Amino acid sequence: MRWSPKLRPNGWDGLAAAIVLLLAAACAGMLWGRGAATGGELEVVVSIDGGEVERFVPTDSAGEKTYTSRGYTLHVLVRDGGVEVSQADCPTQDCVHTGWIGRAGESIVCLPARVIIQLVRTDGGSDPGGVDVVIG
Amino acid sequence: MRRWMAFVLAAVLTGGLTACAGTPADPDEAQESIQVIAMDTVMIISAYGEKSTHTVYMAEDEIRRLEGLLSRTEPDSQVSALNHADEQPTAVDGEVSRLLNAAALYSEVTGGTFDISIAPVVSAWGFTEAENRVPSQAELDGLLTHVGMEHVHAESPDAVWLDQGTQVDLGGIAKGYLADRIAMLLRENDIPRATISLGGNVLAWGDRPDGTPWRIGVQDPKRPDDAEGFAGLLQLEDAYAVTSGGYQRYFEQDGKAYHHIIDPATGYPADSGLISVTVVADCDREASDGLPGTGTMCDALSTALFVMGEEKALDFWRNSGYDFDMVLVTADDRVVVTAGIAEQFTPDEAGGYAYEMVS
Amino acid sequence: MKLTTKQLTLCAMLTAMALALSYLENFFPLSLAIPIPGIKLGLANIVTVFALYALGPVQALLILLSRCVLGAVFAGNMNALLFSLLGGVTAMLVMILLSRSRRLSVYGVSVGGAAAHNCGQVAAAILTLGNTAPLYYLPVLLGVSLFTGALTGLIAACLFQALAHTDLMKG
Repeated sequence: MRWSPKLRPNGWDGLAAAIVLLLAAACAGMLWGRGAATGGELEVVVSIDGGEVERFVPTDSAGEKTYTSRGYTLHVLVRDGGVEVSQADCPTQDCVHTGWIGRAGESIVCLPARVIIQLVRTDGGSDPGGVDVVIG
Repeated sequence: MRRWMAFVLAAVLTGGLTACAGTPADPDEAQESIQVIAMDTVMIISAYGEKSTHTVYMAEDEIRRLEGLLSRTEPDSQVSALNHADEQPTAVDGEVSRLLNAAALYSEVTGGTFDISIAPVVSAWGFTEAENRVPSQAELDGLLTHVGMEHVHAESPDAVWLDQGTQVDLGGIAKGYLADRIAMLLRENDIPRATISLGGNVLAWGDRPDGTPWRIGVQDPKRPDDAEGFAGLLQLEDAYAVTSGGYQRYFEQDGKAYHHIIDPATGYPADSGLISVTVVADCDREASDGLPGTGTMCDALSTALFVMGEEKALDFWRNSGYDFDMVLVTADDRVVVTAGIAEQFTPDEAGGYAYEMVS
Repeated sequence: MKLTTKQLTLCAMLTAMALALSYLENFFPLSLAIPIPGIKLGLANIVTVFALYALGPVQALLILLSRCVLGAVFAGNMNALLFSLLGGVTAMLVMILLSRSRRLSVYGVSVGGAAAHNCGQVAAAILTLGNTAPLYYLPVLLGVSLFTGALTGLIAACLFQALAHTDLMKG
């Protein structure tokens, strides 16, 4: 044994855990805060092999779409302002298991087909510095 | 065994975390917003939640009802009936009686700087008439003898009367009371969030749909026509905010500006060194029972504090026992914010004010 | 670096154990909860923690690399290599640093390692996909790492306790 570690958790471990938690919260604030912002419109961005192939507004484009890449075909169902992969012939089926997504920032990834379906919020009209009501 | 329990725990918590990430932030996304022109101002009622549509129209009905009841210019209103009763005891609604008593209370605690019987003097300046004018000192002296709550006898709703020459105008608390009434409607209809803007009176109910406080811009009194010109920004949740300022209504004669907030002590527009006063107080949602309450208080106090001036207003804030905070804009370009809302207040640098926090 | 036979045997055993743990992870597919394919819980970090203390950073790194390469070869999946390498190496670097501080117990070191492991995996996902979409799930993964870290810490602590007085450790 080169050196024996402490085997009982102590306050410093708590500190380490707290730092990780803080980091998680900070990331959440930064990454999810944008998604929660009001204003703007939710858009679906479909990328294949790292390149964007299609962009549409889910509320305007309800219905089914198919994407083919690397020999796999994904059937994408657009409904209720969000999307899901209803059926795919990829071996992992992760994309199907992800289910429906409807919130800015969420994504569906099919690794074998290298397809990413991502929800983003456009900046249109949202003004973070704006006020809700003027008084006086 | 322990390790498996830890694993199950980890799995359950993982599920919990993802569930949080996946659900939308707000289930009450229905929103309804209406604009109502009443009480000489533009009112905007904006509510969220399942019953938002129903509630905003109930609020409109309430605005119309109170305007009909309390207007001084409406000949059929109870206030008009009182003002023209010629000392005859008149029966009024319990509601009007309660408001008269609230007005008497605020007049008393503010040393008469808020006074609903100032009405004839305000009229002499032409603020309720078609044309503004500067009345003579003799005229003002004559009118001032009838000003004072001792001339208003409202002990019982069945027999209210005013002394000869005295008239009342509930305009100084009507919008505040309206805010109290609308708060009751919001509570009764389980409205999660709303903003009520009644021309100088704001009720910020709940929070914004994104979970942050409502953002209330306090109009910069020196840039009254600039919709983006603010003295500062207040971030409020469940709170009333009322602004009184001389810039809201005024006229100019011989190069001098005369505004509509009359000091009951002099009969002249208050010249206290303040150009706007914003009073902020918490709104206790559960206690919104439709009686004259915090909204009414804010409305009365904003006028009184404007008349008092900075020093007396701060004294009142510290010693009166009333729970509220203020944003004072002074004529010498300072913005004074009391400690209780210092954290919710963001200065607007474009105004060129010096900002001070007092405690 | 000179390896004694005992150490070499230990390295081989630990590599085998790490491989077994990697395989075990397949039965708890994290990707069902977090839709980033390829992301693993990081149970094999138990071996890294153990090796780090028992054998030292160089041996621990060797075990890690062997585990990653062999794991990818066995699974016939080269995508997985990047995930396990980036996750494993980041975790190892962070744990080497943290273990220098003698204040932290094996739990603190493991939690730090688990957090780094998940950051590394998100980086791998971003690299593989050429898209920053996986970043969205980083906060959740950091939260998860608190539990996986505590779990690996617990198991490592049990291991040390059980083995502390055997002569396995006295090489």
